[in-house]
Amino acid sequence: MTSELTIAMPKGRIFEEAYQMLIDAGFNLPEEVEMSRKLMIEIPEENIRFILAKPMDVPVYVEHGVADIGIAGKDVLLEQQRKVHELLDLKISKCYIASAGLPNTKMNEIAPRIATKYPNIALNYYKEIGEQVEIIELNGSIELAPMIGLADRIVDIVSTGRTLKENGLVEYEHISDISSRLIANPVSYRMKSERILEIVARLKKILN
Amino acid sequence: MSTIKKFEKPLGMRDTFPETYEKIETARQIGRNFLRSRGFDFIETPTLEYYDTVGKASAIFDARLFKLVDSQGNTLVLRPDMTSPIARVATSKLLKEKIPLRLAYSANVFRAQQKEGGRPAEFGQMGIEIIGDKSVFADAEVIITAINLIQEFGIESFTITIGHAGVLEGILKDYTENTDQYETLRKLLVERNYVGFEEAVKSFDLPQVKSDALLQFINKATHLTTIKDIEQYVRKNDALEDMIQLSKLIEQAGLSEYISFDFTLSSHMNYYTGMLFEVYAAGSGFVLGNGGRYDGLLQLFDSDVGATGFSLRTDRLLEVLPNKEEQEDSTVCIIFEGHEFSKALELATTFRNNGERVTLQSKDGLLNEEAFTKLFGRVVYVNQEEGQ
Repeated sequence: MTSELTIAMPKGRIFEEAYQMLIDAGFNLPEEVEMSRKLMIEIPEENIRFILAKPMDVPVYVEHGVADIGIAGKDVLLEQQRKVHELLDLKISKCYIASAGLPNTKMNEIAPRIATKYPNIALNYYKEIGEQVEIIELNGSIELAPMIGLADRIVDIVSTGRTLKENGLVEYEHISDISSRLIANPVSYRMKSERILEIVARLKKILN
Repeated sequence: MSTIKKFEKPLGMRDTFPETYEKIETARQIGRNFLRSRGFDFIETPTLEYYDTVGKASAIFDARLFKLVDSQGNTLVLRPDMTSPIARVATSKLLKEKIPLRLAYSANVFRAQQKEGGRPAEFGQMGIEIIGDKSVFADAEVIITAINLIQEFGIESFTITIGHAGVLEGILKDYTENTDQYETLRKLLVERNYVGFEEAVKSFDLPQVKSDALLQFINKATHLTTIKDIEQYVRKNDALEDMIQLSKLIEQAGLSEYISFDFTLSSHMNYYTGMLFEVYAAGSGFVLGNGGRYDGLLQLFDSDVGATGFSLRTDRLLEVLPNKEEQEDSTVCIIFEGHEFSKALELATTFRNNGERVTLQSKDGLLNEEAFTKLFGRVVYVNQEEGQ
């Protein structure tokens, strides 16, 4: 019997979508999983174990090898730059990162302030376009920052654009496309290559 | 910044406590005996080097170097790896005495940490370098030595993945249209971002044949059990001939089961010119070691001889070493009263001659005798009543 494979999954909607993908890919998983408060789900039929983590934490588990593979948003991967292999674009929970602000405003010339949940992504973006900025890290309700005068721009995830609109903000620059990715620990990728490659191959088939 | 507490150490620096120290030392001994038996000579180089020589030559990113300034105003670095100091000393001196050289080392290297204070910024590396031999036999010797060394440690579940900088360069250059595209793809492979690689290929507007070839390559070339599987992607060239030869030599050594090929394997270290490999072992989530042919580094030191080698990280080695039965090497404690000192010395010598570890402790110096004696396998009292 092959060794157990541990998969780190983000809690919530992405888990459900990804779980369904695995079922579609022919993995023998129970249709209904009871996951109200559970952090770990064992699937003895497939010798798979899911661990449920905060989306931001999935790459941490994978980098340290306590999870062999995982499903993580590209936003998190870009922000944290961890040493994991990015194997597959699952094309779920698609959205993008953009900068936004109040309509018809210019960035403050002296020290434009950028509010964001993604300080590294924001910093790298403005560095690349040669703009000197001050990054203000917030944990949520980012849209508030330009409205109340804390920042000139925000850098955040946009999926439909509704939240921006409702708060009277407009999008300025498209920074990066985001979707969920299958990632692997570098050692597991080699030591458990057969199982991981099989998952990749089967998922690829249903993606195309 | 908060004030530094009395017990704090600089970011990433660690104390090694007795138990860990013994484990490291045992591993070092095993490695040392093994590598010496293979004809490798151990060498030590200074902890501090000039930034302009070793610092610049080293493959470690500038931001991760510990830099200092000496009293003449020169910038110094704490050595970030062992390969570049060895290249320096070999090209300046040792190669004049013997060529090829077979050198080994076990030393600590320093790489500054920015993330998560807990990661070590100083850690041990054990490795070998064969300098002055461009033949594929030297490459084979490096890989075979790596495999045998890991076996010597008693590690069973491990694998070595081999790639070739030249083969990869050939493939990427053949199927891209300009250096920008080539660099982009190479960078993505260093990051192991296969999704990004595919996206980039699609965005280049390459002729169908080329982009198909690249996409097929990225899907197939990461896990090859035999070298034959790569031949369809690459024109016959010296690099490929090299790898075919290398794979044959490893087969002759009977070690094929431990290796696989990944021709997408790529390193941010530009000085790798030929085969390169990484070592993975079950039990740690991080790469145990790596190696390869780095003729390019010797060129930085004005020498055009070939060089190849590998290193293992000793801190990660400890994670994957099989758990040996903790054989409590019991220490005898002799507790003596002041006036019986010479008797105690005599007794200690007798025990020591029997190969026992002996702690000699005066009763007067003990604050809590009960707590102290608990830490020993055996306690012997030297006092008048027993009349020893």
